[in-house]
Amino acid sequence: MRGQSDLVRHLAQFAGALRQRGVGVTLSDEADGLMALTLIDVGDRGEVRRALRASLKIRQRDAAVFEELFDLLWKVRYDSSNPPVPAPGIPIPARPKAGNRPGRPATESDVERALALGDELGYSPEAVLRRKSFEEYSAADSTAMERLLSRLILRLATRPSRRRVPVRGRGEADLRRSFRRAIAHGGEFLSLARRARPIEKPRLVVICDTSGSMDPHTRFLLTFVLALRRVTRSERSSEIFAFNTTLVRLTPWVRPGRVDLTLERLATQVPDWSGGTKIGECLGDFVTYYLDELVNGQTTVIILSDGLDRGDVEPLAGAMRAIQGRARRVLWLNPLAGDDRYEPTARAMAAALPFIDRLLPAHNLESLERLLPLLAA
Amino acid sequence: MRPEIAVLQEAMERQGYIADPAIATALFLAREMRRPLLIEGDAGVGKTEIAKVLARLLSTELIRLQCYEGLDVSTALYEWNYQRQMLRLRMAEDEGKTASEIEDLIFGRQYLLERPLLRAITRIEGPPVLLIDEIDRADDGFEAFLLEVLSDFQVTIPELGTLRAEHIPYVVLTSNRTREIGDALRRRCLYLYIEHPTLEKEVRILRSRVPGAGARLAEEIGRFMQALRRRRLSKAPGVAETIDWAQALCHLHSEHLDRETVAETLGCILKDQHDLRELGAGELEAVLAEVAEAAG
Repeated sequence: MRGQSDLVRHLAQFAGALRQRGVGVTLSDEADGLMALTLIDVGDRGEVRRALRASLKIRQRDAAVFEELFDLLWKVRYDSSNPPVPAPGIPIPARPKAGNRPGRPATESDVERALALGDELGYSPEAVLRRKSFEEYSAADSTAMERLLSRLILRLATRPSRRRVPVRGRGEADLRRSFRRAIAHGGEFLSLARRARPIEKPRLVVICDTSGSMDPHTRFLLTFVLALRRVTRSERSSEIFAFNTTLVRLTPWVRPGRVDLTLERLATQVPDWSGGTKIGECLGDFVTYYLDELVNGQTTVIILSDGLDRGDVEPLAGAMRAIQGRARRVLWLNPLAGDDRYEPTARAMAAALPFIDRLLPAHNLESLERLLPLLAA
Repeated sequence: MRPEIAVLQEAMERQGYIADPAIATALFLAREMRRPLLIEGDAGVGKTEIAKVLARLLSTELIRLQCYEGLDVSTALYEWNYQRQMLRLRMAEDEGKTASEIEDLIFGRQYLLERPLLRAITRIEGPPVLLIDEIDRADDGFEAFLLEVLSDFQVTIPELGTLRAEHIPYVVLTSNRTREIGDALRRRCLYLYIEHPTLEKEVRILRSRVPGAGARLAEEIGRFMQALRRRRLSKAPGVAETIDWAQALCHLHSEHLDRETVAETLGCILKDQHDLRELGAGELEAVLAEVAEAAG
C-alpha cells in the first residue's frame, strides 16, 4: 500500500522535527501515532492534529512547539480515497539551542554551528555567548568540598517516608508476612514480621543565575550543587535549572561522574552564559512549566542569584509567591550577602524577600556549610 | 471528521458532558487502540468526569482507584483476609489435616479480598472502566508496579498463580501534575491535556448541568469566569467551581450578576486567600464592568 508507506515517512519526518526541537518522541510513540492515523479521517487536518497530540503524548509545555511544527510541516492533504502525496523535501528547522524554552520559535541555529567550529560568537549584539573556561578552580578544591559534604550529608536524611518497608525489630506488625511465616510453624505466630517507614532523601530544586554579575560565583556554586547531588545520590529527586535571559532545564545534561566535565558541558548548553538577567520572566517560566510537577511539600527550592535585575519586579513577586506556596522551603543564596554591610535593597531582591524563608550568603565554603542543615527534608 | 468521533461527542453530550473535538478524538482513539488514556489538566476541568461518562456510555461498571501517597499493593491490588484464614486454620488443625491440605484450603479465592485493580482484571461480565485517579499522588514505586499491570493485564499472586484479565478494561488515568509522571508510564498511554473551556463551551456546560440558571445568568457567569482566568490568580477556578457557583446563585434566586451577590458568593470560585484579597479592592468592579461591556 503506497499511501500507507508515505504516511509512515511523513510521520517519521514530523517526529524527527519534533525531536530536533527537544520534544521527546520515541519510536513507540511514532507507532502509536501511525495507528491513530489509520483510525481517523486523515483528510481532516484538525483531527490529524488532535490525534497526533494524543498519540505522540505531547505535553502542555511542548504544545506550542508542536502546533508550530504541525502548521509548518503537515502541509500534505491526505484523502481517504487517494494515496497521499508526501511533501517534497520537508524543511526541518534546526535545533534552536540546548535549553528549548517551550514556545520559542526556532532561531539561533548558528549557535551550534559556532560551537562546532570552536568559535566565540555573539548571541546578540549586547549579550555574549562563550565557552567558559573552568581552569581557575583547582581539582583539590573540588575534592575538599566533596569530602566536607559527605561528612555533613548524614544530617540531610531525616524525613520518614509514607510507604512502609519490611524491617527487623521495630515498627508495626506486618500481618501478611507474619502469616506467611506462621504457616511454616503450623499456624503458630512464633515471631511477628514488622514494617516501618524508611527515611527519605530530601528533594532539591536549584535555580541558578548564570548572568554576568554572578560570574565569579556561578561556577563555585554549581560545583557545590553537583557535588551535593552526587554525594546524596539524589539524582532522581534533584533538579537543576539555569537562567539569565531564558530558563534552561539542566538536569538532562548532568551526568554522574566528574564535576568539572559536567560543568564544561553545561557552559556550552546554556545560551547567553554571562549575559544579562531577566529574573522575573525566568522564574515565571519555571512556575508555568515546571512548578507543579517538580516542587511539592517536601521540596526545598534554592535560588542562586545576586538579585541584580533592572526589570519589572511585579512578575518576580508573583513567581516567588507561587513557589513559596508549594515548596517546603525557599532559600535564596546571594553571594553579596557575605558582606556584613549588605542590605537586600536591590529592587528585585527586595521584591522577592517576603517570599523567601532564608536569605543566605554564599561566598565561601563556610557559608555553604551552614546551608546544609537547612536542606534536610 | 470521522463519523464515529462525532457520534461519540454527541453521546457524551447526551450524558451531560460537553466534550470538545480534542476530548472526543482522544477518547475514541483510546477505545479503539485499547490503550490507557492519561488525562492532565488543572483541577476542576473535568478529568475524572470523563471516566464516569465513559462508563455510562458503555453501560459498564466504573472501578475507581484513588491514589495517595503511601498507596501500596495491598490496598490497590489484593489482600488476604487474615482473620478468616486464621479461623479456618484453627478448624483445619482440629480436623487433623496435613500442612499442604491446609495451605490449599486457606489460600483459596474466597479468602482473597479483591482491591480495585484485581477487580478490574477479574470482572467477568465484560470490560469495566478502570479509573486511576490522581496517579501523581502515588509514589514512583507504585507507578512502576502499575506499569506492569497495565502492560500485561495480568497479576501474579504467589499463592494462587497468575490471573489473566477476563476482559481488558478501559483505563483512564488522571493527574493534577503535582509530580512528573514517569516517561515509561506516559508512553504506555495516550495523552490528553484538558484546558479551561472557552466561553461558548462553558456556557453550554452550565446550561446542561445547571438547568435552573437562565440564559442570561449562564452567559454572565461564563464571561465572569473567563475574565477571572485572564487575571493572575494563584488558583484559577475550574468548571467544577463554575457549576458550584451557578448552583449557589440559583439557590439565591439571582437572575443576573450584581456586585453584592458576587462579593458574597465569591468563596464558591476563589479558594485562596490571596486571590480573594486580590479581587477585593476595586478589582471586582473591573471584572464586572468587563462582563457588562462584553454582554453589550
